[in-house]
Amino acid sequence: MECPEGVLLLLSFTAIFFSCEHTVPELEAQLAAMRKKAADALPGSSWSPFDINPNLPPERADIVIIGGGVMGWSIAYWLKQKERVREGVKVIVVERDLTYSQASTVLSAGGIRQQFSLPENIHLSLASADFMRNINEHLGVLNEDPVDLQFNQSGYLFLASEEVAHIMEENYSTQRQVGAKVTLLSPTQLKEKFPWINTDGVALASYGLENEGWFDPWSLLNAFRRKAMSMGVIQCCGEVTDFKYTVSMMTSPGGDPVVYKRINSVKVQMPKGLEYQMVECAIVVNAAGAFSGKLAEMLGISSNPKDTIAGTPVPVEPRKRYIYVVHCPDGPGLDTPFLIDYSGMYFRREGLGGNYITGASPKEADEPDTSNLEVDHQFFEDSVWPRLAYRVPAFEKLKVTSAWAGFYDYNTFDQNGIIGDHPVINNMYFATGFSGHGLQQSPAAGRAVAELILDGNFKTLDMRGLGFRRIMAQEPILERNIL
Amino acid sequence: MLKILIPTLLLIPTSWLAKAKWLWPTTLLHSFIITLFSLAWLKNTTETNWSTLNPYMATDPLSSPLLTLTCCLLPLMILASQNHLAQDPLVRQRIYITLLVTLQLSLIMAFAATELTMFYVMFETSLIPTLILITRWGNQMERLNAGTYFLFYTLASSLPLLITLLAFQNKTGTLSLLIIQLLGPIPISPYVNIIWWTTSLLAFLVKMPLYGVHLWLPKAHVEAPIAGSMILAAVLLKLGGYGMMRLMLILSPLAKELCYPFIILALWGVLMTSSICLGQTDLKSLIAYSSVSHMGLVAAAILIQTPWGLTGALILMIAHGLTSSALFCLANTNYERTHTRTMILTRGSQMILPLMATWWLITCLANLALPPLPNLMGELIIISALLGWSWWTIIFTGAGALITATYSLYMYLMTQRGPVPNHMISMNPSHSREHLLLTLHLLPLLLLVFKPTTIWGSAY
Repeated sequence: MECPEGVLLLLSFTAIFFSCEHTVPELEAQLAAMRKKAADALPGSSWSPFDINPNLPPERADIVIIGGGVMGWSIAYWLKQKERVREGVKVIVVERDLTYSQASTVLSAGGIRQQFSLPENIHLSLASADFMRNINEHLGVLNEDPVDLQFNQSGYLFLASEEVAHIMEENYSTQRQVGAKVTLLSPTQLKEKFPWINTDGVALASYGLENEGWFDPWSLLNAFRRKAMSMGVIQCCGEVTDFKYTVSMMTSPGGDPVVYKRINSVKVQMPKGLEYQMVECAIVVNAAGAFSGKLAEMLGISSNPKDTIAGTPVPVEPRKRYIYVVHCPDGPGLDTPFLIDYSGMYFRREGLGGNYITGASPKEADEPDTSNLEVDHQFFEDSVWPRLAYRVPAFEKLKVTSAWAGFYDYNTFDQNGIIGDHPVINNMYFATGFSGHGLQQSPAAGRAVAELILDGNFKTLDMRGLGFRRIMAQEPILERNIL
Repeated sequence: MLKILIPTLLLIPTSWLAKAKWLWPTTLLHSFIITLFSLAWLKNTTETNWSTLNPYMATDPLSSPLLTLTCCLLPLMILASQNHLAQDPLVRQRIYITLLVTLQLSLIMAFAATELTMFYVMFETSLIPTLILITRWGNQMERLNAGTYFLFYTLASSLPLLITLLAFQNKTGTLSLLIIQLLGPIPISPYVNIIWWTTSLLAFLVKMPLYGVHLWLPKAHVEAPIAGSMILAAVLLKLGGYGMMRLMLILSPLAKELCYPFIILALWGVLMTSSICLGQTDLKSLIAYSSVSHMGLVAAAILIQTPWGLTGALILMIAHGLTSSALFCLANTNYERTHTRTMILTRGSQMILPLMATWWLITCLANLALPPLPNLMGELIIISALLGWSWWTIIFTGAGALITATYSLYMYLMTQRGPVPNHMISMNPSHSREHLLLTLHLLPLLLLVFKPTTIWGSAY
């Protein structure tokens, strides 16, 4: 076998001799190609005769996280953070759309608040706010740019009418008890603090003084992703289309048959193609957001009778919400909080150029169609603008500059997150169904799921109240909203 | 000899002609019968030590325990592989059993060989079915890398052995073990004798493995399927030890100074690999490194060439073969249920599978050389022999014994005790096949407590 240099020399001479009209750059390109081919033939190169798709996920992993939104990457980061030895667990995150065009994370308004009525929610948001204030301690990667979340701690301002003021007061005492820094304002104090508000109809206002505001969800997602990947989490672009699971029929002490399922492997399909890979795994985490219910369906839950434990579907479905960006040069100033009105309207400041983000929750009966992410501008004209202009008179003159729509991973059962393992599917953990407050709770929820997986139960925050048990027992834990 | 070889050979047509339903029970039963016959080898009746003699094969007290171990392992491998191969198509199952039987044949002929040429050929032959086993039936992409490491480490180190054997044949006119043991020192020029010594023993040192050239072992053991791991840990490593013991007969005057660095390397390896065990997250990787650690002791013992050293080496080889194979079987039972080898995700099994926890306990205690099991006998004899060679070795062997105890207990506590993770609460119960498998590993070990002289080798 001639040495590569000899081959190169011979071929180059031949090339020169037989085709003198070729220019020098072309010859150089040919030479470079030949050199590369020779280098591939030598041992040590990564050429292989099997033309396998390099984007396929590995054949086995310990933990497969389905869904590459902020929740999925938060769980991946915390799993690696808690693994105690390097390469303790092999984690892969499967995300079907790396442009995140339909993901709830990046389409979110990005707010964070502790003004909930459930202590679990308040704990989660408080811990997450603490995490985000020290984000570079947690997610800083050596030699890379520091993380800048643009966390505006301008606070949330909830406005309550006469009928719901008592709920606000009760919520306020719960929040103070848990440790959130919230204060109640009367209408006069409100007018004094924010002169641009029209306080008609407002009986009480609740204002967050610290750890509340908004931040850039894309930065948080990328920070989690960058840090997790630097710790060894493998990212895979693909869609989970199927599961391979074993079924074991058992009998409960009462004599009823119980069917336990255990996922053996996850079928990951490559985007735009027929190739797929069965990833053998020990644990699957469902962090698929709005599409979690559909994912759990692949495990054959709906084939069981509806009233059994095995047949209870995962009650998460996508709900479309619109966000409109408006420009109003005479609008409220730079200390504008994230205002939420009792009529369901909300708005917040966006940037420093007089832009604001606004929207409203539609009524139960008028839920928009979730098959696409088209924006309904009529909704703004009918439902948002009137309430906006009523509450803040300066907003009577504004211009809608842009708008987008995003999905809530809406928990149809009680609109609160589901964190925990499934009673019947043994090795599937859930972190979904947050119905609009997932992004703000993602750092703490990720830590809770990681503790559940690696330590066996919750260590820092007790999230058993948010587990699957409440859905099985049909005991909803509803937020007592003022909306 | 033929009464074992022919039935083993005929297991191949058995595996091809048996009906699908009866494939595994038939091969299991027949290999058990072969094991029972092979127990007859353990009785050495002659004074020259060589029994069942024919021109090509013989057994002596050094090879008969290893032969019996090999024959004992085939039914255990078949038993262990039954579950994970059940999903494979029938032809593939037949091929698997054929591979196991071929490996078995080459190993029997290797241990029973009287001519060193036949030993060498069988030594190399055993590589091929193992390689196929690892690369075809292993679980992950890394198995290709593992197979490459395994094959090329052994091949590269054993080619010099071939040259040495040919040169030896040229010089002395014979390669028969029966004659070599009677030859005097061989005249070799003073510089070539170093090369002679190294090339003779390098293949076996790599196979043992010695600490510096052990890199193939964690890869191969982890990526192999259960039968591959079992045969690798139990028998293939012992091929190295056995080869060393045989070949050092022809190297006797040269070994006085040349063995020094290798003994140090082996003892240092005991310490190092035991420490690596403490930081492993993968269960099979932990067991693989524990194998390297035990074999380091064996290598050191063989290299010092004293009767006690050789006896201790043989005892430890047999005991370690059974223990290590049992540990791999236990790790496999875990793996088949949870599909992960990471220890942090498979904790607290004692609550769920209590009887399996018993086997875990006994096997982990055997691994840390608990009296009166032969593991302790072997280690104690080796440590005493090394102490006689030099007082300083007690540092290595003592610290090694300590760390061995630490990681064995760590392995037990990590997998069996602790909080039960949520995803393990309802696992499949243990199969009686698995209980049988582990009993058949531990029963010989316990029986050897009562008659250890069976595995004491030629020094008894």
